[in-house]
Amino acid sequence: MQRSSNVSNESALIEAARRGSAAAFTELVAAYREKLLRFLLTRSPSFADAEDALQDTLINAYRYLNSYDPRWRFSTWLYRIAINSASRARRPDTVELDELGDEESDPLRQCIADANRENLWLTARRLLSEEVYTAMWLRYVEDMSVKDISAVLERSVSWTKVNLMRGRKTLEGEFANTATEEKSKAYG
Amino acid sequence: MDKLAKQLRDDANSIDCQVSDELDMRIRASLEGVKLDVPARSRQRSRSPVFWWASSLTGVAAATALIVLVNLAPPEQTPAVTEPAPQALVIPTISWQAETAVLTSPLEQEFEDLQSDLKKAEEAVRQDIERLF
Repeated sequence: MQRSSNVSNESALIEAARRGSAAAFTELVAAYREKLLRFLLTRSPSFADAEDALQDTLINAYRYLNSYDPRWRFSTWLYRIAINSASRARRPDTVELDELGDEESDPLRQCIADANRENLWLTARRLLSEEVYTAMWLRYVEDMSVKDISAVLERSVSWTKVNLMRGRKTLEGEFANTATEEKSKAYG
Repeated sequence: MDKLAKQLRDDANSIDCQVSDELDMRIRASLEGVKLDVPARSRQRSRSPVFWWASSLTGVAAATALIVLVNLAPPEQTPAVTEPAPQALVIPTISWQAETAVLTSPLEQEFEDLQSDLKKAEEAVRQDIERLF
């Protein structure tokens, strides 16, 4: 019931934004801004780049709102634009995602509170390819369906399923190791 | 939700970042200045029904005029065509008998040289194999 009312509210806001209401669009994307920034932060060389990518994403989403196909979830479309914006922001001569891992300037590390163990998303970024990392993020953080993830990544459903499983296996192995280490530390 | 999924979600939530007021203002200001893109499909102006009627009538009129012109034109005088007289078919006969080739001395020499090359190549390969294994 709650979800259907959210969807109808979203549709109404999309219609209003399509008629040129920037305020309606701002309200429409309000629920996604923080999530998108967090997502973009994991794939940007600096916090400023992530902010720029977010701004680009929202501007492009608003500009091309008329090309949005309501058969897809709005978030699916928004994440596709976000990925493109992040790729554009990360020029070929700038650092790659996996090169950001141990730098103090890594924006993702800066936004993670000190913990006893490494944040799993840092581990994921170290071990997985960019696409598999994105698929995992969309699945486990954004709760997207496999079909939606394949649409965001412009991949087949089979590819998405297989790579989600592989990514999961890789992280499970790492997660199990960390848990064992923690246990042995606790028991001396 | 399994343990790994829960941990992934918790770890994502522990990434602390917020849209600053400055960024929010920047985004709002940028959105105000954006002009919405109109897709190519809807950019095409819809034509009025009069246009379709006019074009249909023009097409019908053109077809009628063409039919009338074709029917009014006098029949063409076709020149009498004389058939060529039949000629006796002459099929050349081919002699399929061929003599067995006899190698002349330069060809024999060539053949021997090729055989020698082949032998040398075989020997080189054999030596390579022995050296390796």
